[in-house]
Parts: sequence; C-alpha cells; structure tokens
Amino acid sequence: MTDKQSSPTYADQAWQGVTTIVENVQLARDTYRVRLRCPEIAQAVVPGQFVMLRLPGSNDPLLGRPLAVYDVLADKADGAWGIDVVYLVVGQMTGRLAGLAAGSLLEAWGPLGNGFPPLPAEHLILVAGGIGQTPFLMLAEEALGRRRFGNPPRKTPLADRVTFCYGARSKDYLAGVEDFQRAGVDVRLATDDGSAGHHSLVTELIAPAVEQSGPAVRRIVCCGPEAMMEATAAEARRLGVPCQVSLETPMACGIGICFSCVARIRDASGNWDYRRTCVEGPVFDADDVVF
Amino acid sequence: MSTPAVSLEVQLGRLRLANPIMVASGTFGYAREMAGLVDLARLGGILPKTITQEPRQGNPPPRTVETTAGLLNSIGLDNDGIEAFIERLLPYLAGLGPAIVVSIAGRTADEFTQMAARLDGLPGVAALELNISCPNVSGGVDFGVNPTSCCGVVEGVRRACSLPVLAKLTPNVTDIVSVAKAAADGGADAISLINTCLGMAVDWRHRKPRLGNVLGGLSGPAIKPIALRAVYQVARAVDIPLIGIGGIASIDDTMEFLVAGATAVQIGTASFYRPGVSIEILDALPDALTQLGATRVADVVGTLDVETK
Ligand SMILES: Cc1cc2nc3c(=O)[nH]c(=O)nc-3n(C[C@H](O)[C@H](O)[C@H](O)COP(=O)(O)OP(=O)(O)OC[C@H]3O[C@@H](n4cnc5c(N)ncnc54)[C@H](O)[C@@H]3O)c2cc1C
Ligand SMILES: Cc1cc2nc3c(=O)[nH]c(=O)nc-3n(C[C@H](O)[C@H](O)[C@H](O)COP(=O)(O)O)c2cc1C
Ligand code: FES
Repeated sequence: MTDKQSSPTYADQAWQGVTTIVENVQLARDTYRVRLRCPEIAQAVVPGQFVMLRLPGSNDPLLGRPLAVYDVLADKADGAWGIDVVYLVVGQMTGRLAGLAAGSLLEAWGPLGNGFPPLPAEHLILVAGGIGQTPFLMLAEEALGRRRFGNPPRKTPLADRVTFCYGARSKDYLAGVEDFQRAGVDVRLATDDGSAGHHSLVTELIAPAVEQSGPAVRRIVCCGPEAMMEATAAEARRLGVPCQVSLETPMACGIGICFSCVARIRDASGNWDYRRTCVEGPVFDADDVVF
Repeated sequence: MSTPAVSLEVQLGRLRLANPIMVASGTFGYAREMAGLVDLARLGGILPKTITQEPRQGNPPPRTVETTAGLLNSIGLDNDGIEAFIERLLPYLAGLGPAIVVSIAGRTADEFTQMAARLDGLPGVAALELNISCPNVSGGVDFGVNPTSCCGVVEGVRRACSLPVLAKLTPNVTDIVSVAKAAADGGADAISLINTCLGMAVDWRHRKPRLGNVLGGLSGPAIKPIALRAVYQVARAVDIPLIGIGGIASIDDTMEFLVAGATAVQIGTASFYRPGVSIEILDALPDALTQLGATRVADVVGTLDVETK
C-alpha cells in the first residue's frame, strides 16, 4: 500500500455526466435492476468497481450514492454501451430510483474504486450476503473466460471453477441467481429462514466449497454486511485461503475528496490508520481490515 | 453573438488570481484526486485540505451524514502533518498552475506562526488560509470566536512570513463583523466567509446521534443564506476583499455572492455531488458578468442595491 495521501486508483478513468435509464425492472423483493446508457463507463469499468448515481435537479437527497456495477451491456455494432446496477430499496435515493421509468435521466460518475485485483485462482469462491452479490457477476464472467472488461480489456488468470455462496434473509430476496448459473457458476444458497437452500448462515457454506476442490489454488472474495465479512475473513484464515473483501462504507463523494468513507486498514507494520475506501478500496485484503 | 472581452482576474490583497473560482479546503482532497474529472489548470485557486503541525488520525466514522439539502461532517482534520504535505503533496500542487493557497490549523498561536514560517518561500505556495474556524477539533483554541485572539493569530502569521494571508472565519459566533474587523486589523489580505455551521442529526429510534462525533459542521445549499448574510454584513464593515463560501453550486449562486460583496468564491460540498461544477461555473462567468454590463469582476462586487424599492 502507498502512503495515505495518494492512491494508484484515483478516478482518472472516470466520466461524469447525465445518463438515460433504458429499463428499470424488479428482480426480487425490494430489489431492482436499472440499465443505463453510458458507453464511457461501460467501456472502462472492471469487476468490483462502482459508480455514483444521483437524481438530477434535486437537492434532497443531495449527494450521489455508491452502487456496484453489476453487468456491462455490449453489442457488435457499438461495443460496450451500457451498465446494469442492481439495487435494494433501503431509503431515500433507492426508493425514488425504483419509481423512475425508462427515459428518465440520472447523473452518474465512474467507474470508481480499485475493483478486484486480477489474482490467480483455480477455484474462485464468491461469498455474498444480501445485496453484496452485485459486484460478483462480472468477476465470475471474467474468471471463467467468458468476458473481458476494461479499456484496454484487462488480462486475468482464468479459474477452472467458480462457486458462489449466496446468503439472503429469505427466498424472495434472492436476485440474479439465473445470471450466475448462465455464466457457468456453481451457486449455493443459504437463507435465514430456510425458504431456499441451506437453513443456515452463508458462512457455513464456505468450508464445504473449499474442501470440494482438493489441492487447488483457491481464493475467497466476499461482500455483504460487515459482521458477515468479518466472519468470512475469520473462516478464510482458518482454512488457510487468501481472502479479499469489498467494503460497503457509506460515501459522500466516491472520488477521494471528502475523507468520509474511511475504514481502519493495517499497514505492513501492523498498525492501522483510517483509509479512504472509495479510492484505496472498496476491495481490500481481508487480513488488512480491522473490523 | 459574441461576448465583449471580460477580464476575470481578481486581486485579494497581495494575492492575484487568474479568476475568482477557487475550490474550498477539505472538499477537494489534495487536488490530485480530481485530475481525471476537472481541468485543474483552469481554476483560479486551489485550497488543499487543511494541514496541521502533527499528523492527525481524524474522527471515527460515521464522519458525514446527509441532512435536508446539506451535509454534516466531523472529519476532524484527518491529515498526515505539514512535513508529509511539503514532501509528498506540494510538488504536485506546485506544478498545476493555479494559486495554491495552503490551509493551516494550529492548536496554539505559536503553532500557526511556526507552520507559516515553514511554508514561507516554498515553491508553489501562493498564500496561506488560516483555518481558525474548524468545529471538529477538540483540544485546540477556537481563535475564530474571539476578536482579540483572531487578531493575534493573524498578526503573528503576518510577522512570521511574507505570504498573503487569508483568514477563514466561522459563522458560529454572535457577531461575525467584530471578528472580521479584528482579522483585518491583524493584517489579513482577505477574509474567507464561511466555514461550516455547527449542527447535529439524531436517530430518535435508537436515541443516538447520527455522527460519530455527535456534533458536526453543516455545509451545502442549506447554509447559503447564512453565508450570503455574513458576506453582506462584513462587506459593509471592512475594506479588505472577501471570499464567499457556503452552498455555492451554480453560476447564479456565484453571482449572488459577488453582488453581495465577495471578490472571489470557493466551491465546497458541490464538488462532492457534481465533480466538474467548478469549471462549469467558470465557463458561465463571462456571460453572467456581461449580463450586468461588467467587463471585470470588480465591477459587480458589492453592488447590491438595498436602497431602491
Ligand atoms: C462501493 C459500494 C457499492 C455498493 N453497491 C451497492 C449495490 O450494488 N446495490 C445496492 O443496493 N447497494 C449498494 N451499496 C449500498 C448503497 O450505497 C446504499 O444502500 C445507498 O447509498 C442507500 O441510499 P438511500 O438514499 O436509498 O438510503 P439512505 O436514505 O441514504 O439510507 C437508508 C438507510 O440505509 C443506511 N445506509 C445508507 N448507506 C449505507 C451503506 N453504504 N451501508 C449500509 N447502510 C447504509 C442508512 O444509515 C439508513 O439507515 C454500495 C455501497 C458501496 C459503498
Ligand atoms: C467534508 C468537509 C470537510 C471540510 N474540511 C475543511 C478543512 O479541512 N478546512 C477548512 O478550512 N474547511 C473545511 N471544510 C469547510 C469548507 O471548506 C467550506 O467552508 C464549507 O463546507 C462551506 O462551503 P460549502 O457549503 O460550499 O461546502 C470542510 C467541509 C466539508 C463538507
Ligand atoms: S467518499 Fe469522499 S473520500 Fe471517499
């Protein structure tokens, strides 16, 4: 890691402007997918990066909201032209967004953040709690060699197998499972109430997934509520598998200028300091995060 | 239709700016962050995040919370200290072009003068802004709430360096005019108005404050009327130039501050939710000045008509 006041992942590739909603559909309970026309972001984004979205012409809510890029839309004629964002309605902005029809405008800036590093893994294990699943579809598609992302498209080591351990409150909150299955991902579900998959915490799915691949080079990647990421990090340490987490720290700007999105991150000497998750993250090595 | 030539240059005491659009301290990082989103070279001035003598870890999160048309923050002057700034950040800033106004905060008057002396003469430092108004720092003296201590700090800094000095004041006082007069008496080149307004937000269901630090500073569109009022009142009482700060997010906001008495402005929170806003305002400025028949910024500064009905 570099010193505190600089980062290799500033918003140098970011575009800022007004995008058009192409479609805005419900996927699951309180969960929607909005499709935006924004070729600049679509062409540059890599898995694990996010965008800031804001309702135009309104000072309430005032700030943009950070949302992971779920997928990139591309076609032969235009190349990458749009992005999908999958969001859970939790408050002001997401509540209003759910009511916007195709043709409505949104302000956007991105892509932002470091994204997932292209590390080698024969067996990639994705662990998500709730809406934390959103950054994983692109990562899985990339790791399985089905898609490449970034400008120029980044090179990544391929995985033989991708397992997705996906936990939610109940069956009706599960979103996008078919997208992952279509990409060739082995999806394992867990719900708090047992209405789908295992009646357990998603973290209990990790050890069986790890044991299944024998002596492969493995890597765990996790995103979700903080307690769940902490538990996953502990489980990964116990199993001796390297683990990265994508933090969902609230953000005011997303571009490194307000210093509000800080998390406690360890440096090489083991001491921690507050670091900006928007420009130094959101993805960190689990062992560097002080939960 | 061609606009007649408009000069955007402004003079803030001994500090000359190519144009009156600056970016406010603590709301633009150390500028490098914005290189991909803003044509930095075009800004009139850049104020990096306030630095202190020693590194400061800052306050625990949550450090910001949104309120109606505003933002409460308690960042707590998170920074790596003056030496790290000089070594690692200043060289980049110095190469950008715009005036770099270094914002400093000391816990004591001596710390202010020591920091001023250390920065004096370093390549790239165009001026100092004294942050005597940050609501988020405990353990320090609130120089900005008392005319005598305000005057003393400004005088000390003037003696310690040859740089132009801006005094940034807090609105959280009974009489901002008396503090502004004291800053002018102490030798400030200009006065920056305002820093954030002390406020709080409550989560009643959990009976908890929403900010980690309980109290914080309010910024954004919600405080613009307070900032305009401060500029208007101070402009009538002191002879030195003023810099308007508070909720500025458009060319209209900017013109309001100029007409009320500011010679320049700083864009703060608006950069968070519209990263390119400073340059958008700069692009719109010549036309807006022309609409008032002005050929230079000074033609409109303080031209508010409060007499005619
Ligand atoms: C890098 C990153 C990527 C994200 N990706 C996604 C995504 O793909 N899909 C998605 O649905 N959400 C995602 N989030 C979370 C999302 O940003 C918040 O849910 C959103 O800001 C809520 O906005 P709102 O105006 O609807 O809610 P608000 O009215 O702002 O808040 C409603 C409630 O949610 C809480 N809250 C607000 N922000 C957060 C947060 N970041 N974490 C936890 N609680 C919060 C508030 O405290 C409040 O209780 C991501 C966050 C980050 C940092
Ligand atoms: C997150 C945040 C951090 C700030 N940090 C500083 C700072 O370090 N030094 C300073 O002088 N002012 C700081 N300010 C105050 C701004 O420079 C400005 O005076 C204030 O926000 C009002 O302007 P605005 O409404 O345009 O944001 C900060 C404001 C915000 C919102
Ligand atoms: S959200 Fe502003 S610095 Fe990270």
